[in-house]
Amino acid sequence: MKVLQMKEEEISMKKRQVRIDQNLKRIVGKIFTAAGIVLLAAVFYFAIAKVYPFNWGVVLKYRTMFLKGLTVTFQVSAVSIFISFGLGLVFSIMKTSKVGFFKDIAAIYVWIFRNTPLLVVILLTYYGVGTILHLNRFWAAVLALSLFEGAYMTEIIRSGIEAVDPGEIEAAHSLGMTNLQIFLSIVFPQAIRISLPPLIGQMISLVKDSSLASVIALGELTMMGRQVGTSSFATFESYIIVAFIYIMLTSVLSILGRYLERRMSLA
Amino acid sequence: MSTIVSLRGVKKQFNGFEALRGVNLDVESGEIVVVLGPSGAGKSTMLRTINYLIQPDDGEVFFEGQNLSTVTPGELRRIRAKIGFVFQHFNLFSHLNALDNVAIGRVKVKGESWDDARKEAMKYLEKVGMANKAYNYPSQLSGGQKQRVAIARALAMEPDVLLFDEPTSALDPSLVGEVLKVMKNLALEGRTMIVVTHEMGFAKSVATRIVYMENGIVVEESSPQQFFTFPESNEARNFISSILERI
Repeated sequence: MKVLQMKEEEISMKKRQVRIDQNLKRIVGKIFTAAGIVLLAAVFYFAIAKVYPFNWGVVLKYRTMFLKGLTVTFQVSAVSIFISFGLGLVFSIMKTSKVGFFKDIAAIYVWIFRNTPLLVVILLTYYGVGTILHLNRFWAAVLALSLFEGAYMTEIIRSGIEAVDPGEIEAAHSLGMTNLQIFLSIVFPQAIRISLPPLIGQMISLVKDSSLASVIALGELTMMGRQVGTSSFATFESYIIVAFIYIMLTSVLSILGRYLERRMSLA
Repeated sequence: MSTIVSLRGVKKQFNGFEALRGVNLDVESGEIVVVLGPSGAGKSTMLRTINYLIQPDDGEVFFEGQNLSTVTPGELRRIRAKIGFVFQHFNLFSHLNALDNVAIGRVKVKGESWDDARKEAMKYLEKVGMANKAYNYPSQLSGGQKQRVAIARALAMEPDVLLFDEPTSALDPSLVGEVLKVMKNLALEGRTMIVVTHEMGFAKSVATRIVYMENGIVVEESSPQQFFTFPESNEARNFISSILERI
């Protein structure tokens, strides 16, 4: 008995050792990849630096402008993510409802906003609707982004709702549940779990698409980058920083998405 | 004994196909009715009209004396709660573990708290031998285990009648036995059951009455002994001989 127990302990120790070894291997592999990329970037950087003298000092003088741009991009994106998700929810429910009128309204909404370039939507909301409703640049951008991305989110959530097994809905009916109960406790939780990865992808797109709001002179990140570039004559440096900030911002979203996905995945 | 389910001239069409062409059936409480017949005979459709998952085009369905075509939506839901339904493909809620699959009906329909409902649900999982898998999700269960959880889910509503729609047809042959055993135990408890199946052994040994359907109507009703030895109709005779050929 005792011998057996010792053997078991030994085996579990060995198993743990193997796991640690595997993790170590993975981490070392990642470090090598990262080092390789940094090296490659450095080679490119110095090659370009031979013909284009980088001047980071000038750009860094304008760091408050980048910070301001980042703040506005963050605000526009955060508010638009919230509203576009709400629009996606409402219209996807309408699109999957049994009422023809609701279905048609949602279909027309998606049809219009998926077939108009975002740039045109932004121009329309600011110079068109905005002048009538007296929207400032910020809210015009939020309205345009929300309506545009909301159309895509509608389709994403709709496909999630339709992916729920109709047999489960039938089973819920057989238990005597109401339509609302079935939607809230059976259909919706599954639809959101199914559509979470593409939803996060769409939100990342939204953050990047917010750069188009620079066309109506909203002082977001891209706009600020252009201003820094023109006033410092360090255009290249300025846009590199802009790109870097976008990557950081969207990376936070993908990390958040991966965390949510893991939390919502079934054991 | 009282009549619990009663179908009167029930008809149903799907895109011009006549699935049910006037079905009459009475089921007394305590009976175990096994419905046999070739595929496409309308067995599953008939079973779904009993709790109005499918609404008939014509004819009437009575449950405990109430005409389902005249009840309010709220009354229909209360009636459905009294009719346990076990599906061919289990239809467990895939985002809930076994325990919550069984508990959710009591929470949403009977208005119990999750704590109380889970306590009760555990008893039903024990009854079908699935208590040790209570916290597993459907994707982590075998077909036979899923079907036993599905039976527990139906039982947890404390129904007056249990309807089974080919409960073993989607199962690996080696898993059929565990489900049939649970069903036999329910039969021994004196529960009212209506079972659509192709399991002839179960039909012969457990049924109190055989209902034979073909082309959307009930062709023959008789005791199992009579049905399997001296079937009256040509259809039933052909059906039984086609089964015997396969053995």
